[in-house]
Amino acid sequence: MKGIVENFDLYAPKLVDKEEYFSSGHRACQGCGEALAVRLMCKGLGKDTVITNATGCMEVISSLYPTTAWKLPWIHVAFPNSAAVGAGVESALKVLRRKGKIADRDVKTVSIGGDGGSVDIGFQAISGSMERGHNMIYVCFDNEAYMNTGIQRSGATPFGASTTTAPAGAASVGNKTWKKNMPEIMVAHNVPYVATACHSYPIDFINKVKKARSVKGPAYIHCLAVCPTGWRSSSDTCIKLGRLAVETGFFPLYEVENGKYRLTIEMPKKLRPVEDYLKLQGRFRHLTPDQMKQFQERVTLEYKKLMNKVKYSKSWLEM
Amino acid sequence: MLIGEAAIRAGCRFYAGYPITPQNELTEYMSENMRKVKDGIFIQSESEIAAIHMVTGASAAGVRAMTSSSSPGISLKQDGISSLAACELPAVIVNMMRGGPGLGNIAPAQGDYFQATRGGGHGDYRTIVLAPASCQELADLTMDAFDLADEYRNPAIILADGMMGQMMEPTVFKKAKPRNYSESFMLRGAGKGKSKIIKGLVLPPLEMEEHNWKLARKYQVISDKETRHEAFNLDNAELVVVAYGTAARITKGAIKRLGESGLRVGLFRPITLWPFPVKALRELSHKVKNFLVFEMSTGQMLEDVRLALQGYANIDFHGRPGGVVPTPAEFAIAVEREFRDKDTYGRQF
Repeated sequence: MKGIVENFDLYAPKLVDKEEYFSSGHRACQGCGEALAVRLMCKGLGKDTVITNATGCMEVISSLYPTTAWKLPWIHVAFPNSAAVGAGVESALKVLRRKGKIADRDVKTVSIGGDGGSVDIGFQAISGSMERGHNMIYVCFDNEAYMNTGIQRSGATPFGASTTTAPAGAASVGNKTWKKNMPEIMVAHNVPYVATACHSYPIDFINKVKKARSVKGPAYIHCLAVCPTGWRSSSDTCIKLGRLAVETGFFPLYEVENGKYRLTIEMPKKLRPVEDYLKLQGRFRHLTPDQMKQFQERVTLEYKKLMNKVKYSKSWLEM
Repeated sequence: MLIGEAAIRAGCRFYAGYPITPQNELTEYMSENMRKVKDGIFIQSESEIAAIHMVTGASAAGVRAMTSSSSPGISLKQDGISSLAACELPAVIVNMMRGGPGLGNIAPAQGDYFQATRGGGHGDYRTIVLAPASCQELADLTMDAFDLADEYRNPAIILADGMMGQMMEPTVFKKAKPRNYSESFMLRGAGKGKSKIIKGLVLPPLEMEEHNWKLARKYQVISDKETRHEAFNLDNAELVVVAYGTAARITKGAIKRLGESGLRVGLFRPITLWPFPVKALRELSHKVKNFLVFEMSTGQMLEDVRLALQGYANIDFHGRPGGVVPTPAEFAIAVEREFRDKDTYGRQF
């Protein structure tokens, strides 16, 4: 059965919520992909939503007291515990509904955080919330480093990126480790819904948020967010970089529903070389052809692994 | 940066840190320069707790190790600091204080005095706390912190604030002392000898009691031997301001202005916050009867000053918490007003 969501692309602009829940006038940098992503996410969620926000750029730019960009109930919490607070909010709403103290409405709790607050210091809180099965969504806005404190590397920083605590130089390639595959870790938690997304594919992202919202139980969305300041790219390439990340296979968009993998956008038959993506970013400027090749090999391998999962996960489930 | 260079010169070969404003300059400096020295290791950890426990490991292996953070990060590290004290392991922890409680803000403040001087984590322990007030002192005290930590096998804290972290002043690095730390404390394989054990978990209460008293005796020795302070303009002073770190710098500026308007004010600046220079302050109270404690908090060191003076002198307090850094002129006006107005003088809040 093809639901409305499957055909969403056709008449999407009419179905996107006109209401802005993350209003303009905040203090994000020019060309900030993350602010755009948050805005799109809110459109997907609608008004019956409570947001818990870990410390990071999104909190700093949106809530300079006494102003706020949020038109949704929003709570800012410490760096490591966005998911834990989200779990608490969700449980509290459940209890209040059960006791009849609030109207019996489907209010979704959504915890958000950056990559540092998700894959590094906030990891155990997310893992705990997913494991306990709270009816909530966690959205990680991944701009691939600690941008708020000044571009320090994180567990989500890709290989070869130059950051202030992994500077590239004569003896160093920059960041030495590969990007932590957080969506895969979440799949391993056996949660009903896991997806990757990017602000450069707005309808795809909104669809995924809507799907995550309709799921009973925990859902996780990993959203790549371009950061011109930290990536040393010009601010007008924000959307382009997001698209290139997907088209080169560096950050494929897929979803995992109850263990079943599916690509959500049509990927080109032949992926673009990853160099196209890297050369637009100053943080990769120092990479030698050899290192580019190393990067390309890794991307190809990861993409192959994913395609295999897409191909075979259906039959795994039927076995 | 200064702290980083001083630490490397003092022989620090392990640094673990996590991003937090306002101390990222130090982490960034270490990431670049640790690799330039032989055996130097820099790790950006996944959390503050991981960083302090990495330091514990390095210290147990006998390496001079350091970590740094700012107020909320130091709160997270308390688990490890308590453990370092229990295991009697040396380490240097840098705290560039910002406004609190909670996440507070990122402006310079002095609200972590209690946390630093009372141990901070759980259990019966103390940490050596050094409070620099200039770039020169940042460098010198960082080096001294490593020596003190080694000598007493106890964590030492550099307690400064965001202001000190962003300051630039000409500085001369002193020559580092050769390290005096017994190989027998280091876990580097027992070889053919007896197994070496570092213990933080002591289950039998009697044994734990003995360990607690052993630590207490050590803290007593530190209290007797290691207090430091600076006395400034104390001759014929009618009022002595007690302040440390950035607050002491502001006071020095204010003293000059107050002198011009005919009020003779001196400064007593504790350099070691723990051990607190109780004896020196008490002796001072034989000469001067009026004290004013000035902190960028709502009054924390104030309690130590009260304990030291034990009611033998008048104590007033001036506080600017929350990341507000008053100018010397503002402070001078406040001192004059509070001191001249005898009705309110001596009242705390």
